[in-house]
Amino acid sequence: MTPPTRPLVEFHDVTVAYGRRPVVWNVDLVIDSPCLFGIIGPNGAGKSTLLKAALGLVPLVGGEVRFFGEPLGRVRSRVGYVPQRETVDWDFPVNVMDVVLMGTYGRLGWFRRPGDRERRLARECLDRVGLADVASRQIGRLSGGQQQRVFLARALAQQADIYFLDEPMAGVDVRSQERIFHVLDDLKAAGSLVVVVHHDLRTAAEWFDRVALVDRRVVASGRTIDTLTPENLQRTYAGHVDVLDDLAQAIAARGRTP
Amino acid sequence: MTSSTLVGDLAFGLGGIHAWAMATAAVIAASCALVGTLLVVRRMSLVGDAISHAVLPGIAVAVLAGGRPGGPLVFLGAVAAAMLTVWLTQGLRAAGGLTEDAGAGVVFTTLFAIGVVLVGLAPPGTHLDAACVLYGELAFLPFDTISIAGQPVPRAFVAGATVLAGLVAAAVATWKLQVFTAFDPAGARMAGIPVVGVTTGLLAATAVATVASFDAVGAVLVVAMLVAPAAAAELLTRRLHRMVVVAMALGAVAACVGYLAAWRLHTSAAGMIAVVLGLEYAAAAVLAPDDGLAARLIGRVRLAWRVAREDRLATVWRAEEAGNRAAARPQTPHEAVVVRWLEFTGHLLRDGSSWRLSPAGRREAENVVRSHRLWEAWLGRHADLPLDHLHPPAEWVEHHLGAEMRERLEADMDERAADPHGREIPPEA
Amino acid sequence: MTAAAGILAHNTVVVALGVAAVGFAAGVVGSLCVLRKRALAGDAAAHATLVGVAGAFLATGRRDLATLLAGALVAACAGLGMLVLVRRFTRTRDDAATALVIGVSFGLGITLVSGLPAWGYANSAGLEQFLLGHTAALTARDAWLLAAVAAVAVAAVAAILKEATLVAFDAAFAAATGWPVSGIDYLIVGLVALMVVAGLPAVGAVLVTALVVIPPVAARFWTDRVGTMVVLSGLIGLAAAAVGVAASAARPGLATGPLVVIAAAGAFAVSFLCAPHRGWIARRAEAARGLTVRRGDDEGEAGR
Repeated sequence: MTPPTRPLVEFHDVTVAYGRRPVVWNVDLVIDSPCLFGIIGPNGAGKSTLLKAALGLVPLVGGEVRFFGEPLGRVRSRVGYVPQRETVDWDFPVNVMDVVLMGTYGRLGWFRRPGDRERRLARECLDRVGLADVASRQIGRLSGGQQQRVFLARALAQQADIYFLDEPMAGVDVRSQERIFHVLDDLKAAGSLVVVVHHDLRTAAEWFDRVALVDRRVVASGRTIDTLTPENLQRTYAGHVDVLDDLAQAIAARGRTP
Repeated sequence: MTSSTLVGDLAFGLGGIHAWAMATAAVIAASCALVGTLLVVRRMSLVGDAISHAVLPGIAVAVLAGGRPGGPLVFLGAVAAAMLTVWLTQGLRAAGGLTEDAGAGVVFTTLFAIGVVLVGLAPPGTHLDAACVLYGELAFLPFDTISIAGQPVPRAFVAGATVLAGLVAAAVATWKLQVFTAFDPAGARMAGIPVVGVTTGLLAATAVATVASFDAVGAVLVVAMLVAPAAAAELLTRRLHRMVVVAMALGAVAACVGYLAAWRLHTSAAGMIAVVLGLEYAAAAVLAPDDGLAARLIGRVRLAWRVAREDRLATVWRAEEAGNRAAARPQTPHEAVVVRWLEFTGHLLRDGSSWRLSPAGRREAENVVRSHRLWEAWLGRHADLPLDHLHPPAEWVEHHLGAEMRERLEADMDERAADPHGREIPPEA
Repeated sequence: MTAAAGILAHNTVVVALGVAAVGFAAGVVGSLCVLRKRALAGDAAAHATLVGVAGAFLATGRRDLATLLAGALVAACAGLGMLVLVRRFTRTRDDAATALVIGVSFGLGITLVSGLPAWGYANSAGLEQFLLGHTAALTARDAWLLAAVAAVAVAAVAAILKEATLVAFDAAFAAATGWPVSGIDYLIVGLVALMVVAGLPAVGAVLVTALVVIPPVAARFWTDRVGTMVVLSGLIGLAAAAVGVAASAARPGLATGPLVVIAAAGAFAVSFLCAPHRGWIARRAEAARGLTVRRGDDEGEAGR
């Protein structure tokens, strides 16, 4: 009997606030085996915020997130990230290969430049996402789907064990979506955990093994077939969270609700 | 720029000059503050900075073409230069892909440089030189007078007062448009408001205010008079019309105080006015009622104290519920202080080696515990959390629930008035 | 007289080289700032330097360039520090905060510079040359100092170019992968403060931002690669500084700053109009010929 291993990702009582105003409340989530994991919920539910908090981009006001039982700082090289596409200026003077190479910077460290080994790795990653022949194109001259695949290739170049993707399918054509999904599926098959913030319920039901339904707090989580029930969906998408919003406002004002 | 050159003050009498200089500075500062408030609220402060620099070539060209400083040709030249700045900045963004601030940086430095060169080419005696351009000569302005109703009145004051009156009139006339465009440009556009026209008007007003300030404080310090009072006012109030009035008042006060301080310290009036404006801003940042640093600190302390009191009362109540009097005793010196205070206010009563709740204390304690258990119940129903993870969130949320919210939470529950651990939820006290 | 003329000429050349080095370094450092979309960060630092110059003179009584520039650097960093404080502790937004620091710090500087003569500091005249630049007063030693600062700045940029590019392009990804984004930002802004200070003697506090903003923006038109842009920006800055100093030597009465800026603006205009692919003329020609900038086409990429 194998000894129990630490969970891959563990959110313990995670509360996230913007300034003093809580936007995500008391999240408890444990993912203990590689799978395709979806974080689903309506707009403004805090799904991206939750992801960013896990990666240390937004501060936690309560709780902690652990990876392989460790805080993120100790295992950064094992965690890959694909941020939302809108965060980037696509007129920046870099080409596709430059961007993918940025995925190798974490392992290179300060001052060292990418060499042959890194370039080979970058080419492999570009191959996997089907962009090998646009390697020297400036990134502004790519379509939405191609841009997303460049980001994915960059994350692949990190050679991580856990990948976090923030709305990778937003604004991407169907063919590119399928393509991206297949890459993610291959990652899962190779033993990585892939956590995706996603907005489309139909494809969520098709693609993900496990999901968490989030609307400012986790409504339900578990295997997709068990979790995406009408009742849970009702509570997530039509739930009355004005209680949380009013409370958040009171907390931000350091006072009480009426 | 030193007071030792104030030779002609005998003609006016010392008080007279200072009064006029301060009045001139005050009307100029008020004009700038009025325009500046709209700029700040619309996040166009850097455009204001750009225009205040870029009017220089317009002024220089007008003066070289024979215009009188402070005369209409100069105002026109300034407005033309301002429009040129904006047109070039937008053009660079559209045609060259430059960001707004990079484009502005290119345009206004270039125009200012051209302006300085033109000023250098001006024949001596045209009342335009590099130092004046940069920081004005407020102290000398009162000596250039025109006659009004038989009294000598400084020309600069007349110009400044006229500009102020004009700007106030324009602001009042277009007030609703300005407010709408400032807070919701997209909505304003859809409502048919000529957003571009309103914005152009604002930029022209900025140019006019800049020119009016030019003689007094020079190019670079106009930006302080445009932005500082408005930024301070923004911290003090959220209503735009109040913001404008407060900004104008702050500007006028800084102008007078700055001028007097400069006279006392024998230094540049323009510089001192800017310094006083900075101090005003700092004061606003600290003292602002809701957002100021002092208010925030006080708020934090008050919350911490309220939490400590409520926690202690709830602990004593729980001790009673569990029949464990010893648990009501404080464990740390901090808790002991809280207990003493609660005793003093009559919420706790001494009871042998421990304490018990007075009727007032009981009411408050029950509401705290009620808040706690209602929250646990709500969270247990609406969030996917194990049973032992409900207590910590409720521990801090309990202090932020009011009576109405408790009613809502209770109404959301099924009939049984018990928390997820099976403990009874006290009724509203 | 010929010997003196010879020395003078040599002095001018050395000063020109020193200032040109500063121009190069300013262009290089400015590229990082422009890429990071913080083009006007240097402006706040620049206007604060005047306080430092006057303050250094007040504190030490010395007027050598090294002392004054040291004071300027301290004040520049203080100005940037004020910006950080305002951002952190108040609701005031970035653009208003920058304008605020620019205006108030400059006002304080003017107060000091104007007051010094009246307060009995007889030999304080001439601090005003730091407003618009005046290279005629520089010595060869000063030029060496400036060149050394320039060299340090360029070396620093070369060392962290990869990290700075990463942060400028995608700060979220950089932070998530463990890079100290704030630290790198502070370093970039610190280098800009250093260049602003080094540019004071040549261009003056009011216009020195131009030296850090115009060359990178001009260079961007010529290339799509960061490395090339940085080097080209340096060269444009160098050329502008050299031209400005030469023009200033020809007409000693004119301040140097405006001439340098006009030279840089000329380079910008040429770049904006004439650069291949991204220049205005080239784009109009392409549009006229019916070509559009080729974007990847999802439908046309079947099988990719």
